[in-house]
Amino acid sequence: MEIWLSLMITLIKILVVLGVFLGVGAYLTWFERKLAGHIQARMGPKLVGPFGLLQPLADGIKLLTKESVIPQNADKPVYYLAVVMAVAPALLLFSVIPFGPGFTLFGYEIKPIVADVNIALLLVFAFGSLAVYGTIFSGWASNSKYAFIGSLRKAAVIISYEVVLGFSVLGVILLAGTMSTTGIVQAQIEKGVWFIVYQPVAFVLYLFCMLAESGRVPFDVQEAEAELVTGYNVEYGGMRFGVFPLAEWYLNVMALSAIAVVLFLGGWSGPHIFGPLSPYIWFLVKMFGLVFFVLWLHWTLPRFQARDITEIGWKIMLPISIVNVVVTAVVAYIL
Amino acid sequence: MPWMNRVVADKVKLEFKDVDVEFTKHTTNLHVRQERLIDLLLYLRDKAGYKLFIDHTCIDFPEKKERFQAVYILHNPESNERVIVKTWAKDGKLPSLERLWPCAKWAEREAYDMFGVLYDGHENLRRMFMWEGYPYFPLRKDFPMEGIPEVELPSLTEIYAGRKEPPSHDYEFMHTRVPTLEDLERTEKSRLQKKAQLVLNWGPLHPGTHGTIWFLFDLDGERVVQSDVILGQLHRGMEKIAENVYYFQFLPYTDRMDYISAICNELSYVTAVEKLLQVEVPEKARYIRTMFAELQRINSHLLWLGTGALDLGALTVFLYAFREREKIMDIIEGNAGFRLTTAFLRIGGLHYDLAEGTLDVVKAFLKDFPAKLREYHSLLTRNRIWLRRTKDIGVITREDVFNYGLTGPVARGSGVPYDIRKLEPYAAYDEVDFDIPVGEVGDVYDRYLVRMEEMVQSLRIIEQCVSKLEKLPKSAPYVNKEHPAVMAPKEDVFMDLEDMVKNFRIVVHGESAPPGEVYVSGENPRGELGFYIYSVGGSKPYRLRIRSGALYNLSIFPKLIQDGTIADAIALLGSLDPVVGETDR
Repeated sequence: MEIWLSLMITLIKILVVLGVFLGVGAYLTWFERKLAGHIQARMGPKLVGPFGLLQPLADGIKLLTKESVIPQNADKPVYYLAVVMAVAPALLLFSVIPFGPGFTLFGYEIKPIVADVNIALLLVFAFGSLAVYGTIFSGWASNSKYAFIGSLRKAAVIISYEVVLGFSVLGVILLAGTMSTTGIVQAQIEKGVWFIVYQPVAFVLYLFCMLAESGRVPFDVQEAEAELVTGYNVEYGGMRFGVFPLAEWYLNVMALSAIAVVLFLGGWSGPHIFGPLSPYIWFLVKMFGLVFFVLWLHWTLPRFQARDITEIGWKIMLPISIVNVVVTAVVAYIL
Repeated sequence: MPWMNRVVADKVKLEFKDVDVEFTKHTTNLHVRQERLIDLLLYLRDKAGYKLFIDHTCIDFPEKKERFQAVYILHNPESNERVIVKTWAKDGKLPSLERLWPCAKWAEREAYDMFGVLYDGHENLRRMFMWEGYPYFPLRKDFPMEGIPEVELPSLTEIYAGRKEPPSHDYEFMHTRVPTLEDLERTEKSRLQKKAQLVLNWGPLHPGTHGTIWFLFDLDGERVVQSDVILGQLHRGMEKIAENVYYFQFLPYTDRMDYISAICNELSYVTAVEKLLQVEVPEKARYIRTMFAELQRINSHLLWLGTGALDLGALTVFLYAFREREKIMDIIEGNAGFRLTTAFLRIGGLHYDLAEGTLDVVKAFLKDFPAKLREYHSLLTRNRIWLRRTKDIGVITREDVFNYGLTGPVARGSGVPYDIRKLEPYAAYDEVDFDIPVGEVGDVYDRYLVRMEEMVQSLRIIEQCVSKLEKLPKSAPYVNKEHPAVMAPKEDVFMDLEDMVKNFRIVVHGESAPPGEVYVSGENPRGELGFYIYSVGGSKPYRLRIRSGALYNLSIFPKLIQDGTIADAIALLGSLDPVVGETDR
């Protein structure tokens, strides 16, 4: 009975998270287009529905009803697998994000997190690394040179930034003494200070890695419209194409922003001014603040070269992150 | 621009006994036997200082024994003098100048493509614009302008419904030859022998090339081992058309060469024709021409800025640039009636007088634009990513400027102050004040800064033109209708019998040009656009050669990109800024 109930609760949590974030992900496209429009001195979508609010719906219908074209000599199983591999890790990232403190409902203790495991951060790294397979597979299976080069660039970027990401987070783990995401938030609440205060360098490094992982400007080398058309997803059509930006640009950005909020910005902590919902509102406000920052950069900056990105990753950011970890460890040990 | 003076010519004559020096009305020509051609050119380049290769082409004289006359135009940057060297092909062969000026390779390939002249010592004498296996040489006089109809091309209706008798619509069944897929494959194979890992195609249609160029990159990872360019997708045979239409009829075609700076093209063309026909242009027309050419230059540079930044991932600059571009488009549209291919200029003046209120709009633009320029600067100039992508990429040395015949902002970016507006002022450029910005290093960043500064200088010129035009009376003539070869304005044609008769005569019979030759060039946003007109009298040019700055600027691309990455290639291509309409013509 207990097992069934907890399974039920988990299932409901999964459905809620999926429903909310897939929907929000779709509406993030509207938000991004609107934002880009205003940054670029134009209107953005405004014809479909009030303020163009039905635009994502129209886009979705358009993508779903498109003819699917699969290139000749494509490796079909891998070609389809790539789509799955792109979305799945991005969605799985949401499973270790705590959106608020635990509460009691009908006598049951419920935590608003799908899987409260004590190795949550390891899972984050694992899923982050898995996401690259979506890109690599799509590039390989499409049998196109543009896609291939794009996916290899992405692999180079991911390899260099995965390491930096790990080291930048290590400081927070040292401070919190746990790898559980709920534990880290609790630690910040107990200490009464966000870890961004102790770890500002790590936070900046994390932001860079977040941009690199999600393939946003200035690290969008794998897409590079001008030279590689759109890179790894050039041979995909219809919703299969739509899934890639959805996963990379929206789900991934949201998930990584949420993790940044957990690690550095105190998770759901914040003054209780919105009543019982205030932890969730605080969490979402912080998270979308970061998402907004990413979008803002996207529409302002030019892009790096793949060579430069790996160079910056290995030669500048990695040493900084290692020094940061060592200093944190020493200081934490002394205090 | 002055041509080779008598002192230098005498020196040449002293060195080369058998060289005939001919001083024509507009040029200085050196006639040399083919055996001595290389020696003479070497002498001109190394001893006499004629370092800058302007152009090479051929003229077809079917009735002569040797048939093809080769024409080389050189420029001396120190004394600012040009010279034309002419020689006759022997058995349809000429020596290749590849070792003297690397850019001659492309000019020779074009001459081979169009005339079938062979070049001894050319490393890879392939067709320039037509595809491999094309059997004709279109610029020969015996090739008809409409081509040779020999291939049957059914319409789509016919494919679906079968051929009906009479046919479903009125057109010729037989068409001129078109390339097949096999032809294109053969063309591609003949250009590049794969040495490294994979050959990446850019084009014929690709977002990075801004037109229909076809780049081939032989890649080792992301490093470019070798590359080549296949041109000709937009080749329309402008030079052939020019030989078959009257002078004034060719004007709209020039719009369609560098379609981003149509008025500048027109200005170069009408300047050349006016020199040949000896037409004086009224002051007002000269100032309006200058003003519009400079507006067009800003317009063109804005397009370059927007697309160049877009190529490097800065998406927003593109729309900011287009916002200002739209204002210029409006000014042009309000005066010429067209936005892009304007046909605003006429031989001897302009098509229309300045529209009412134009100067006010231009003044408002002048006031508004500097702030917008600062906006672009703040987005890019000090941006570290932008610096990283453009600094020390594609460095062009001063020697290469001369060797590759580079002109325009590309030459000035490398510190060569070569600007036709100063060297051979046309329109009203000798009466306005402006500076020539030059770069130091010659990399992509320098070319970027040069173009940005040129926009500021253009603003200065426009400002002076506006204040001059404001002083001129409204009734001042904008076209020199006294000249027998100049068409009168439409109002006069409708109201005045004499003008109508003259107009009628010109439209039907064309302007009668005196025999002679003239080379005149204008400073286009993309480099020197030159028109070499060889006239034997009559109302059509015997040969009209268009010297495209964009083509020569592009010719250095394969050399520069070697050992770069393809991400560099896009930055470099943006900084060379070719427009395919002009490279292919």
